[in-house]
Order: sequence, then structure tokens, then C-alpha cells
Amino acid sequence: MDSLLSYRLSDFILFSETAYYRQFELYNQAIWPLHIVAIVFALVILYTVWRSPGCAGRVVSAILVTSWLWVAWAFLYERFYQIHVVADWYALGFVLQAGLITRQGLIKNRLASIEKRTNRYIFSISMLCMAVCVYPFIAVISGRDWQQFEMFTLAPDPTAIATIAILLLYKAPRALYVIPIIWIAVSGLTLYAM
Amino acid sequence: MSDQYNQSRRRFLQLMAIAMASGASGLVNPISAQADTRTLLTRHIPSSNERIPVIGLGTSRTFNVGNDPQALDNVAEVMRHFFTAGGKMIDSSPMYGSSQPAIGYGLDKLGKAGDVFSADKVWTWDHATGPEQMEQSRRYWQVDNFDLMQVHNLVSWQEHLETLYTMKQQGKLRYVGITTSHGRRHEELEHVMKTQQLDFVQFSYNILDREVEARLLPLAKERGIAVIINRPFQRGDLIEELKGKPLPSWADTINCKSWPQLLLKFVVSHPAVTCTIPATTQVEHVKENMMACLSPLPSEAMRARMIDYVEKII
Repeated sequence: MDSLLSYRLSDFILFSETAYYRQFELYNQAIWPLHIVAIVFALVILYTVWRSPGCAGRVVSAILVTSWLWVAWAFLYERFYQIHVVADWYALGFVLQAGLITRQGLIKNRLASIEKRTNRYIFSISMLCMAVCVYPFIAVISGRDWQQFEMFTLAPDPTAIATIAILLLYKAPRALYVIPIIWIAVSGLTLYAM
Repeated sequence: MSDQYNQSRRRFLQLMAIAMASGASGLVNPISAQADTRTLLTRHIPSSNERIPVIGLGTSRTFNVGNDPQALDNVAEVMRHFFTAGGKMIDSSPMYGSSQPAIGYGLDKLGKAGDVFSADKVWTWDHATGPEQMEQSRRYWQVDNFDLMQVHNLVSWQEHLETLYTMKQQGKLRYVGITTSHGRRHEELEHVMKTQQLDFVQFSYNILDREVEARLLPLAKERGIAVIINRPFQRGDLIEELKGKPLPSWADTINCKSWPQLLLKFVVSHPAVTCTIPATTQVEHVKENMMACLSPLPSEAMRARMIDYVEKII
């Protein structure tokens, strides 16, 4: 245990920034044209949030479950694990989150109603738009290759941010926030230490 | 005819004298047949007297590129220039993600599996799985056996060292070592160095972090343990800090044209140091680093001057 504690955060980030972002580039090349599905998912979520049809909660939950499972398998386990020895644990966390959303959102329908025109609503919508519409352009904005973009449903960070926004919109049970918030912290620290 | 014969004979005897002096000094090997007065700096491993170049190649972070074909080819290119410049030792660990398969790719592509001095590590808290991990590492490298196997960061060192001694006896590896980094757990490392029959030890040392000069380096010398130095650039931080700062005018006298070369020459000029293992992803950097593997080395007085200069400008 002593030896484990002697490690620092940067000791676990054993890949370069270049290698990290190249994973997104190769991933995007490998999964094309699934990006179209991701765009459709994003549009469906924005529509359901706007119009709030009766089945909105379950539709949004289904999309979130699909997204968390996909990211767990296709990105974290199949791709990121190649350069990061603990990415399989991250994948496990994403699967767990998919399970929690299935239980609370799909089975119990706990993401059923949105309270509009509140500060919370405005904040959540802004956050959702940032994750879905702005995040894919961050690669280009920060001067990286455009092919290294990260999209909601396909990449972990925008998926986690969009999920938190949706949970806030629907006043979801607190248990659903834990893993996305942990992920944002882990990812933020990784980017910081890289 | 007789004059010509005497001239040739004199030239031959001069060359023999130079060659003998170089060999006897125990420090240098000719780098090439060209008219280059610089020579490849090597140091001997005390437990065997085998000589290795003072600059090796680290792979932490830099070789961890996954299965990115473009990056793998770049790794192979870095390795090609490393070998071309006379490099031998490549160091890795199971902790470094996909670095081991990347090395294997490079060795296979270059046909250098038989030439490399392969140094790897065992890194698992469950010592029973150590042999399995080392075998997996060997398959990744695509080598018959490792030259050096080290216990990574002192993890379960008592148990792993027993395994490594047995493997050495069985001819499955040639040298046994242990590592730490970032200046961690030096007291425990000192204890291991005093009580175990180690061929190699690895720890961090650079022009600013010189704690190991007090105890570990003299102890290694006394115990006849070869020393590998990791993080000679403080994981790149030193290079960043020195970027744009002027090299001292006297750097040229030790054949240093850049900060990395000066920093490497400082590290390898300590008499107890066997080699250092800077890591890079860039061909230009490996070529630059390998220039530090050429003579001359700074004297003790010059080392003090280097410290003084760097501490003043940082």
C-alpha cells in the first residue's frame, strides 16, 4: 500500500497528449458513419427536451443508456485501454452508469418531467447545447486536427457533460450524478496532468 | 621504399598506441572509421565487465501509442536512429501501456532483436503473477530473453527478486535490477542495495535533483552495481525551463550544442553512472541525445561549473 501511495497523478498518465488525441482521430476514422447516428440522437434529445412529449423521459434515458454503453465498449475498452492501463476500470464505471439510468430512467421512469423557464432550466439547456453543439468543435478551436473531434454519444467527456445537463433538467435522483461527476473530475485531472 | 615502409610502420604503431590508450582508459570506443576525433562513450557493467553506451532509450509515455500505425512507424524510426548512432539499451515496463508491443514492432521492423540490450521490469503486487507478466513482456518485445529484468518501483521486491535470481541462474535473463523514480523511497532502496546481489539499480538524477550523489551513487560504486539514470530532463520540465536560455560559451569544449546534450553529459559524467535513458518521440531529439554519447565528458570542475550556471539561470 505504501508503494501505491508513493505514486503521483502524473505517474499514471503514461501517454503523451499527441497519443491521447490520436486515439480520437483513429476512433473517428474507424467508426464512421456512426457519427450520423450520434447527430440523430442529439437532435432527438434536443427535440424531446423542447416539446416534452409523453414518452420523453424514456426516450432520453434510452439514448443515454446506449451512449454510455457504446462509449464504455468502443472507446474506453477497445481504444483508450491500449494506452491507459486503467481504462478498463473506466469502462466498467460507464457500464454501471448505463445500468443506473436503465433502472431509474427506463424502468422507473424517473426522468419524466421538466420544469421550464427556471434558472436551472436555462443553465441545463446551456450545458446541454455546449456538450452537443460546441464540444465537437473544441479540437479545431484549440488548433488540433479536426478529425480529433469528440461527440456526444461517441466520446466520454461530451457524453458525461450532456448527461449531467439532462439529469439537472429532469431533476433526476442524485445517485445518477455520481459517476458522470467522477468522470468529469478524472478526465479533467488527466488533461491537466498530461 | 624503406622510408615508405618506416612511415607506414610508424603510422601503424601510432594507431596501435591510440587504440590501446582508448581501450585502457576503459571509457571510450571508436564510433566510426571516419576521421572523427569524438568517440562513443561506454561504461562497463561491474558484475560482468560488459560495456554499454552511456545513452540508452527510455519508453515511458513516448512509446505508448496504441496500435496507431503512423505512430508505430515513428517509434521504429526513432529506434533506427538510436541504433545507427550506436545505442544499445532500451528500457520499458508493463506499466507503460503499449510501449512494449511498440518496441517489439520496431525491433521486428529493423531486425534488431538480437542487437538490443533489452531492459524491462516486473510490476505487479501479486508476485505469483510475476513470471506470467515477464513472459508476456518478452512476447511483446519479440526477444528470446531479456538482458536485464528489474523490479519496478520496489513493488513486492523481496518476492520478485527471488524469482529474478532463479531466472538468472536458469539463463532466462542476464542481469537483475531494481528501480525507483522521482526521488522516492531512497532509504528502502539503499537497504536493498546493501543487502541484495544486484547487477543494476535505476533511479532519478539530473543537474537540479542531486540527492543521490550523497548516498546512492557512492553506494552503487562501492557495491559494484551498475546505475541507470531515469528522468535526466525531469520528464521534460528542465528542457522547458531552459528553452530560450543561452548555452554557456564553454559548452562547446565538451561538444555540447544544445541543452539536452549538456544535461545528459552532466548525468553520465558522474563516475558511478553507467547510463541514462532519455525518452523521446522525435527522431531529431534522439539524434541530438545520442550526440551526448560522444566524448569528451566534463571534468569534475566542469560539472561544478555546469551546476552553478544552470542554478543561476533557472
